[in-house]
Amino acid sequence: MDFLSMITPLFLVLIFSGTVIGIIFGAVPGMTATMAVAVCLPLTYSLGLENGLALLLGLYVGGISGGLVPAILLNIPGTPSSIATTFDGYPMTQRGEGESALKIAIFASLFGGLFSLIVLYLFAPALADFAIQFSYVEKFLIIFLALTVMAALSSSMLIGIFSGVLGILVSLIGAYDVSVGGNGEYRLMFGFMEPYLSGGFSLLPVLIGVFGLSSILIEAAGGVPENEGAAKIALGHGKKFRLSIFRGEWSNLFRSASIGTFIGLLPGVGGSAASIMSYSQAKTFSKTPKEFGKGHPTGIVASEASNNGLTGGALVPLLSLGIPGDSTTAILIGAFTLQGIQVGPLFISGNLEIWNSMIVAMLFANIFMFAIMYFAIRHIAKIVTVPKYILLPIILMMCVVGSYTINYGIMFDVWTLLIFGLFGYLAYLIGLEIAPFIIGFILGPSAEIYFVKSLESFGTVSIFFTKSWIAGVLWLLIAASIGLSIWMSMAAGRHNDET
Amino acid sequence: MTRLITKLGLAAGLALVTATGGVAQELPKNLRVVIGSTSTGGDTYQAASFVADAMSKHFGINAKVDAVGPTEAFKAIARDTRGTTIMIHHDQSYLGHLYGVKGYEDIFATYKIGPTLTVNPGNAYLVPKKSPYNSMSDILEAAAKGTRIRVAIQPGGVSEIGFSALKNAAKIKSPGSEANIVPVNTGSQADKDQLLFDGQADVINGSVQSNEQYTRLPEDDQKAMRFIWLTAAHETLEQVNEKGLGETSREALMEYATPKASVTLDGKTDFTFDKDFFILYNKEIDPAIIAAVDAGLKEIYAEGAIGTSMKDAFFVPHFLPSTEAAAYLEKKRDDYKKVIEAIRQ
Repeated sequence: MDFLSMITPLFLVLIFSGTVIGIIFGAVPGMTATMAVAVCLPLTYSLGLENGLALLLGLYVGGISGGLVPAILLNIPGTPSSIATTFDGYPMTQRGEGESALKIAIFASLFGGLFSLIVLYLFAPALADFAIQFSYVEKFLIIFLALTVMAALSSSMLIGIFSGVLGILVSLIGAYDVSVGGNGEYRLMFGFMEPYLSGGFSLLPVLIGVFGLSSILIEAAGGVPENEGAAKIALGHGKKFRLSIFRGEWSNLFRSASIGTFIGLLPGVGGSAASIMSYSQAKTFSKTPKEFGKGHPTGIVASEASNNGLTGGALVPLLSLGIPGDSTTAILIGAFTLQGIQVGPLFISGNLEIWNSMIVAMLFANIFMFAIMYFAIRHIAKIVTVPKYILLPIILMMCVVGSYTINYGIMFDVWTLLIFGLFGYLAYLIGLEIAPFIIGFILGPSAEIYFVKSLESFGTVSIFFTKSWIAGVLWLLIAASIGLSIWMSMAAGRHNDET
Repeated sequence: MTRLITKLGLAAGLALVTATGGVAQELPKNLRVVIGSTSTGGDTYQAASFVADAMSKHFGINAKVDAVGPTEAFKAIARDTRGTTIMIHHDQSYLGHLYGVKGYEDIFATYKIGPTLTVNPGNAYLVPKKSPYNSMSDILEAAAKGTRIRVAIQPGGVSEIGFSALKNAAKIKSPGSEANIVPVNTGSQADKDQLLFDGQADVINGSVQSNEQYTRLPEDDQKAMRFIWLTAAHETLEQVNEKGLGETSREALMEYATPKASVTLDGKTDFTFDKDFFILYNKEIDPAIIAAVDAGLKEIYAEGAIGTSMKDAFFVPHFLPSTEAAAYLEKKRDDYKKVIEAIRQ
């Protein structure tokens, strides 16, 4: 219990401050947990490792959690991992249940965070050994499984698949990057675009464009009323939040938190895939799959339990293999490097004090996150009562500033925001589906790398079916997900025929 | 009176010229240090942090390291002639050009080379602990006998230069055998490690810093590895902290480097590669800024504290002022160009 001696007032203040700043970074479109950790990383020099990590872990947990606020209230995912939260969160806000949706999301986030922390503490080395059983083949199948949700997310299966494939295509614009083992050749672009598009379109400006800017354009096209009263979305008109909402959600909570933790274990798969996959699985196992996308609390629970589940999961490969599990832990590893601490398979056994302090910091970060967000909700939720002729320009400004700063001041990222904002608006007019498009865009590059590298390593397509028992299980889940999409599509067709 | 006015005028003019010169020699109050890596956990961020921190204290400025990656870093210094942005990168910056990677121009023609800063002597090659290969000679002999050796690298730079040297050595030892040494192109260190765990590579490129703990695992652990080659020069490793890294001492590490682990360059001397970190400036930067940084760093290195910090973190301090650095790096570039061209023929 020596580590309890390190719980000093400074240690707690740093976790608390980190969590607050992290929530703000997560809640502002264009700013992420990764950015928050990167900005504060040099502070670890002066704070020392334990205190520095306390701050950074607070930022990490707060940053991942803060993304749910704009996702639910404004239909703009604050972070890529909160994309699935928009699917049901925003429809609830439109029904006047924004506060309830936020509370559901915060409870689910706390559960996901604590679940993954327990898993991290008890099973880290064993899980790291399990994680290395996932080669390129299994990672491709996980991405493929997440991609199957594209069809199920749309009103029309064909349009969903088309939109998703279009997203994949757009994500492949630019170089086949040598830093991931590619050949460095440019694809799907002309020579004059090289200075801007050699690295492809940046994810966050695209995300903010298709969700945030396009929504503003759609609202503007419909006419923004000047009458303040007419512009308000009434708060509290819908169902009130009650803990009984979670009564039927335990299996969803455990499954989603497990998926998030598990995806966090696998370097290079990412938080977006975790929340999308959890959402997909919640829909597959739900008795009311048709309610998803219309403001179903189960969808929010799945997404948020999963993306917070990622936090503990992503620390497993970092602390047990020296390999970061996601983009934020990739920055976090810098804190160890700057202090001259080696992270690798022997880190935990050789640095028990640091390990224990990290677990304590994560525990407090989750508790602080819950307390801060839960009690601030009443005020945060009022954002939707701000008249839109005031709110929309503010959101627009935040979108532009966020896009400009995400890669340390690249003007082309602002153009990307505008291009994809217009695309989102046109997609709305012609009936394309935005959610499958963005899922394709996020997962496309990973799908390409893992598919190509699987073939390069094993030389045959049959390896996707024969590699391991894990591949077999993943194929079963893929078949179930596709089967559900087809069934739902047919059921919707029958319903249309009857009416 | 006219004389007095003329003298005063001349004095004022001289003072103005001197003052202007003085301003030019001062560094900007806010200095952005961009690095050619997006990782904050890697050696580039670590090396840049040492230097930025020391420069902040010495010059009384605010130097901030931004991990923007090579493409954005080159763009950032290309558009800043005022010297408010400098870049810190390593040999990848010219190796990328030699290997024809898009986005890499000839740094010696496009940018101004600044001082060298430090060397990371940790560039390493590893095999599974159960591997039949115990030395580089074993690998070259196996290739000569027709065995295919798969080497996991990240193409187009630091990771590939050792692989190119290995092919070159195979060609010298047994012409034609170099075809049996094949690359497995991949990305991050995690990907390279995973290929070894999966049995999809026989040798991987890695580093002492990233892989030392894996070499301490028991042989029956799927993750266990051992070093087989360190590319650093003997003289460089001699300057490394005596205790080495983790539980592997300097003496133990020297077992894997030349002359004990030999990969020939030309049949007479061994190939070596020290990963040098250095500053790059905009081509049009004010020479006074270059001179100020050179002079400041000379004092910083002479004080010794930065060298101690670097050695504690398994770096070797290596300061050369700009002009010497450019000549040194150009020679290095020319040497490696010969290796790359030799295996292309």
